[in-house]
Amino acid sequence: MLQLKPYNLLIQKTVSEAVEAAQQGRPLALDRIISDFDYTTFHMYNTAEDQAGTVYLSVRTKAWQSVLQCGGLLEYLQEVYSGCTGVTLLQQPEQGYDLTLALQLTSSPTEDTVLQLSLLKTHIMASPFKLAFKEFDVLKNVPVDPETAQLQQGPASSLFAIQYRDDETIFIKPANDRITVIFDTVFEDETDKIFGKVFLQEFVDARKRNRSIQSAPQVLYSHERPLELGSSNHPNLQGQPSRGYITFVLFPRHFQTQEVQLSSVYQLVLFRNYFHYHIKCAKAYMHSRMRYRVNTFVKVLNRAKVDDDDNDNQPAAESSTGATSTGPTRRTATGRKLVY
Amino acid sequence: MSYLNNPAVVMDNGTGLTKLGFAGNDSPSWIFPTAIATSQGTATGSNKNKAQATGGSNAGGSNPYFGNSTSATSFNNLSSQMLMSNNLAGKRGTEDLDFYIGNEALIASQGASYSLSYPIRHGQVENWDHMERFWENSIFKYLRTEPEDHFFLLTEPPLNPPENREQIAEIFFESFNCAGLYIAVQAVLALAASWTSSKVVDRSLTGTVIDSGDGVTHVIPVAEGYVIGSAIKNIPIAGRDITQFIQTLLRERGEADTSLRTAERIKQEYCYVCPDIVKEFNKFDRDPEKFAQYVVENQEKTQKKVVDVGYERFLAPEIFFNPEIASSDFLTPLPTIVDQTIQACPIDVRKGLYNNIVLSGGSTMFKDFGRRLQRDLKSIVNNRIAQNELLSGTKSTGVDVSVISHRKQRNAVWFGGSLLAQTAEFKSYCHTKKDYEEYGPEIVRNFSLFNMV
Ligand SMILES: Nc1ncnc2c1ncn2[C@@H]1O[C@H](COP(=O)(O)OP(=O)(O)OP(=O)(O)O)[C@@H](O)[C@H]1O
Ligand SMILES: [Mg+2]
Repeated sequence: MLQLKPYNLLIQKTVSEAVEAAQQGRPLALDRIISDFDYTTFHMYNTAEDQAGTVYLSVRTKAWQSVLQCGGLLEYLQEVYSGCTGVTLLQQPEQGYDLTLALQLTSSPTEDTVLQLSLLKTHIMASPFKLAFKEFDVLKNVPVDPETAQLQQGPASSLFAIQYRDDETIFIKPANDRITVIFDTVFEDETDKIFGKVFLQEFVDARKRNRSIQSAPQVLYSHERPLELGSSNHPNLQGQPSRGYITFVLFPRHFQTQEVQLSSVYQLVLFRNYFHYHIKCAKAYMHSRMRYRVNTFVKVLNRAKVDDDDNDNQPAAESSTGATSTGPTRRTATGRKLVY
Repeated sequence: MSYLNNPAVVMDNGTGLTKLGFAGNDSPSWIFPTAIATSQGTATGSNKNKAQATGGSNAGGSNPYFGNSTSATSFNNLSSQMLMSNNLAGKRGTEDLDFYIGNEALIASQGASYSLSYPIRHGQVENWDHMERFWENSIFKYLRTEPEDHFFLLTEPPLNPPENREQIAEIFFESFNCAGLYIAVQAVLALAASWTSSKVVDRSLTGTVIDSGDGVTHVIPVAEGYVIGSAIKNIPIAGRDITQFIQTLLRERGEADTSLRTAERIKQEYCYVCPDIVKEFNKFDRDPEKFAQYVVENQEKTQKKVVDVGYERFLAPEIFFNPEIASSDFLTPLPTIVDQTIQACPIDVRKGLYNNIVLSGGSTMFKDFGRRLQRDLKSIVNNRIAQNELLSGTKSTGVDVSVISHRKQRNAVWFGGSLLAQTAEFKSYCHTKKDYEEYGPEIVRNFSLFNMV
């Protein structure tokens, strides 16, 4: 099934098990590595002295540096996890990780707390989106000059960049009537490049064809550098003609309420993973068709096969036994054996 | 490229259960049945077998993702409400995406629109279409990894044809573009896993592995990390047969609940290996304490059925040692097979093989299994030595027989994989995507052995 969840199933499972075990008085010794998309690694552990007390969850993710640069990340995470009883952000993260959370098992964490923990990576990625939503609220009140259709004055809108993979970046650009989210993509594999192109073209066209998804954000795909990126000189934007840009245009209806905001962010953050998952599924489907083809060809070939040793033994068998006892095997007019 | 920091993925796809996880962990992250439920409309599924009818008994509802399975055919929760709808049923051209794996597959197959199949038979992949989709889902949904960023360690059964390896390579490199791949023989990994046992002093890769899972039991001699293929023996008795044997006993007695599910739970919770059956029968007759009761509750916890557990507690695992009680065509006891296997190996490694007999797989988990095996094997070996001494008139130095049980035994194969894949050298033993593109699939016919100490 193609569905990916915004939260990490494995963290959810492991934390729930730890909570349950502690409540039953048989605390688990934890020291697990858990992985997530886009160079994200979690480490869940506890100490031998305090097995029933605290579980630590550390995270290291590629996006961390760039999100931190956008600003407000720690405050945002603080805000998200202040709603979860028993969860604290450690001042000093574990060696080699970007952030460590501590969960107090004795505070009997609720299902929601566990869910929030398993959403950790998504929350990190969501922080620049939140900034963009905030900035939109400011920009939308700036009056527009009717002649030039330009914003009259006020703060220049910022461009938030999340570098979530080595050479792929998400850019978020708030404006006074919309927020533009741009994924710049690059494919390492030649086959993927083609699949990706076909898929993206379909993706763009789907909205035009299907009336029921008119309310979805508009999607554009091009190799040209989108104007929204302006004169940004982000290192990923230099050179490399094979780069593609996928642009999502979010209108206010896509981020009006808290819930809508969250679900938009979930979808966008998972977009690249879905996209690559989809390409892989498509390849798997092609493979299965290819296997089917080969099987039918083999069947045809088998039908044409001359049974070697049968033919070789033929004269000898006939001379010794007289009437051949070939039994039920049917032959064609030319004496060939039929093999089904 | 920064995949260097990402943990390697270790996958052990067994006949019954799939073990998935990341290198460096001490237990698999996911354990679920190697089952896939495909939509009935699919044209590509070639072997469709109907979902096994597991009785209506149930012990409480639970989330299909939580807990580790110990059973390949049943899952606690039989209601399909838990299942997230995939909204694909009505959409044209997406039949190939309409499937579930693992516990979700068991739930989905309760309904009419999905059929359940197990893509692995006797340890070997039978249906590549299903397997490819099974992997695809386990990588993206369960492990949440982008295969391009990770190295993979996969396992294969003994005597796996090299063509199968090539198929695996094609799928992993061409469909998934994985960064690197290592395919290890299960028996060698099981040997590596035994290094955690305190009984093992030297970390050698010489020993006899007894791997008994769901579908088949293998006895595999390994010398210096190389499997001695000509001497491998297999026994057509494994977990599933034991479960069925218990089921027959329950049926004969007319118990209130005789489903496979119940039989399997009884097997895992109550069975043990006894030193001597006759004595054990007497013990049971003298001491009614030995009889146990297993309570089956239905889903709503409204009805309770009580199943008596009697002689099957020790009779079921006894099949390994006296196969004639359950089967009429396979009659050689396990210790004899082990002895024959080792005797078929070159003479200079036999001592090492007797010395280090390692258990692996779910069906070796019965209490005292290792102890009984060691005792029986020792007496076979000692008898032979005595006879030789009598015939030749010389004194033998004797052979040390030692059977090793350890804590990681149930998922020994996975654990051994996790041990190997976390070492710094692991990546240099893998074949990378670049190698694959340079040489083609036949590159995976050979993997250099780990010589880690
Ligand atoms: N505690 C236990 N006691 C007895 N049997 C058990 C126990 N736990 C699991 N099993 C049985 O072990 C079997 C699964 O073992 P395992 O996971 O090693 O097999 P597998 O790897 O899927 O199969 P194979 O190695 O044959 O391909 C099941 O039949 C299960 O009933
Ligand atoms: Mg196995």
